[in-house]
Amino acid sequence: MMELFNLVENLTNISGPAGREEKIRSFLYKEAEAYGDELFIDALGNLIVTKRNPAGKKLLLAAHMDEIGLMVTFIEENGFLRFSAIGGIDKETLLGTRVIFSNGAAGIIGREKLKEKEVAGLSHFYIDIGARDRHEAQEKVKIGDTANFYPLCQRTGSRLIAKSLDNRAGCALLLQALKNLPATLPNEVYFVFTAQEEVGLRGAGTASYQLAPDFALAIDVTRTGDTPEPEYKMDLSLGNGPAIKIKDSSVICHPAIIERMIRTAEKNKIDYQLEVLERGGTDAGSIHLSRAGVPSGALSIPCRYIHTPGEMVDLSDIAGGISLLVELLTEKW
Amino acid sequence: MDLDSFLLETTQKDGVSGYEGAIGDLLAGFFSPLVDEVKEDNLGNRIFYIKGDGEDAPRVMLCAHMDEIGLMITMIDKGGFLRFTSIGGFDPRTLPGQEVTLYGREPVYGIIGFKPTHLWEVKDRGKAVKMEDLFIDTGLSPEELPDKIPVGTIAAIRRNYLTLQGGCRAGKALDDRAGLAVLWECARELKRLRHRAEVFLVATVQEEVGTRGAVVSTFGIAPDLGIAVDVCHGSFPGAAEHEVSPLGEGPVITYGPNIHPLVAEKLRETAQEYHLPFQKDFSPGPTGTDARAIQISLEGVPAGLLSIPLRYMHTSVELLNIEDIRNGGRLLANFIAGLDRPYLEGLSCF
Repeated sequence: MMELFNLVENLTNISGPAGREEKIRSFLYKEAEAYGDELFIDALGNLIVTKRNPAGKKLLLAAHMDEIGLMVTFIEENGFLRFSAIGGIDKETLLGTRVIFSNGAAGIIGREKLKEKEVAGLSHFYIDIGARDRHEAQEKVKIGDTANFYPLCQRTGSRLIAKSLDNRAGCALLLQALKNLPATLPNEVYFVFTAQEEVGLRGAGTASYQLAPDFALAIDVTRTGDTPEPEYKMDLSLGNGPAIKIKDSSVICHPAIIERMIRTAEKNKIDYQLEVLERGGTDAGSIHLSRAGVPSGALSIPCRYIHTPGEMVDLSDIAGGISLLVELLTEKW
Repeated sequence: MDLDSFLLETTQKDGVSGYEGAIGDLLAGFFSPLVDEVKEDNLGNRIFYIKGDGEDAPRVMLCAHMDEIGLMITMIDKGGFLRFTSIGGFDPRTLPGQEVTLYGREPVYGIIGFKPTHLWEVKDRGKAVKMEDLFIDTGLSPEELPDKIPVGTIAAIRRNYLTLQGGCRAGKALDDRAGLAVLWECARELKRLRHRAEVFLVATVQEEVGTRGAVVSTFGIAPDLGIAVDVCHGSFPGAAEHEVSPLGEGPVITYGPNIHPLVAEKLRETAQEYHLPFQKDFSPGPTGTDARAIQISLEGVPAGLLSIPLRYMHTSVELLNIEDIRNGGRLLANFIAGLDRPYLEGLSCF
């Protein structure tokens, strides 16, 4: 577990807002290099690690490596930065949140006073980087620069709290499965660390078009229903095993893939949960609609407080997911 | 088999979005005597192919979706009551009191229950019910349920097919079994007609969750022209006249940015030439039908839309006039028989 914790911690410490995945991608590239037959970075910045078997079916596995973030839109005369959201930023958690720019510049998010009954919008918030005026601010950042939540990964028993566990937890799962697999597999497998999932499943769509797989699995986090008065009631808890997705807003998983995942989990006595996610999507959404259609499913890691600076997952769910994925990939599809 | 039997059988076979296997098999049986080849693609679209007559045949695709809106179990609540979410757009106000079939390990019947009005606070009586107030009751005990009805189980609405007066029929899932019936009528008409065009009649999957089947069927078939066949709102008291079309006055030809103007015009000309009743409708945005997917597939595909007026859409008592289906099938068959290369070339340089 310590090794897995360290991997997840390293992954969450790295920046990668959608569209600016270069740092997280180069880390993953170095980690995966020894385990793939070929590594390739495509035009949108997806990292594609291939384990060849031309005689087998083609399987695409997608874990997005991008995270939500902020982008500077305007620098005020007094040095405060206005910003827009990259992906689904939760406005309720912004006030007092620390952020860091790709060049290391640090900032804290402040908010204007709200009028009575006024609901905070993004335009009420600003980033304070400590600059005295626009000129000083411009020495540190410029319009179009991106920031993400300040990284801090804390462990509490088998659980951990960090930014961007959506979807570095999935990246850890996919990377560790790749490392644990034997040299040759009965299928041709593409391990894809996708770009720009948070802004509309964009990287996965083009990767799938290029690779034209026979089947696909997305590896991502999902919500849970185990917190006080959750927004959506669902039968999913932290620590009860990885989840086999039945549907979300972006995809109704192919029944044959769901069946295969359940069968493999039961055969190998791996605990699993079934996921019906009422709101939210994943890379399988764009993959299953690419070309003439790709039967797709998804393996999910239960995660609380998604899209906040403090997401929470249970390491045992990631470990279970690694076991399930390794078993699935050593079967002939 | 006649048209009524087609509608009866297809509305009595469930096919919630993503789970269209059974309705697809039924349709394959109905279409196979009328076509040259029956295929199924990666996402489960059923493609019924009819050869063309001659060389350089235009490729025309007609899409009608075979999925219907339904429910999915999200959790088993205390006492064995099942909570659910909707697959596609159900209005929760239409759900209390409905019967459902649950496709768990084995099919099981259930009903949709909620708190009777007597037990509501007086101030809350008569308020619209929300999805979270509803549950499915099967009679199974909390101990039996997790095994028999796991989370993720699909539920479909049960409702008889009803013959009403004046050519009217009512039932569930006529959106879009009506469109499939138009395709079937069209296939029957084409048996009697010479046509140069190769015809792909597609029963699409997952229209109700975002025209997903048509996205991939259009890519796979790469047609020269595609027409969605779906339902539109029929007129009823309280509806604005411009939003609805009367029943029994013919299928509706849609115009608008989602539709190639020359496809709509050729449908109109064909109806006039063969003295078939038709109506016109204008849709200013992307239509909520397979036509929106067809139009922006590949390098762009000229799209058309023909709709059957239907009242009470997305309820279990959808109501239409069977003559509109018959006329829609005739119109499309004659439209196809009139297709040739020069017309198709005209679509890209008009």
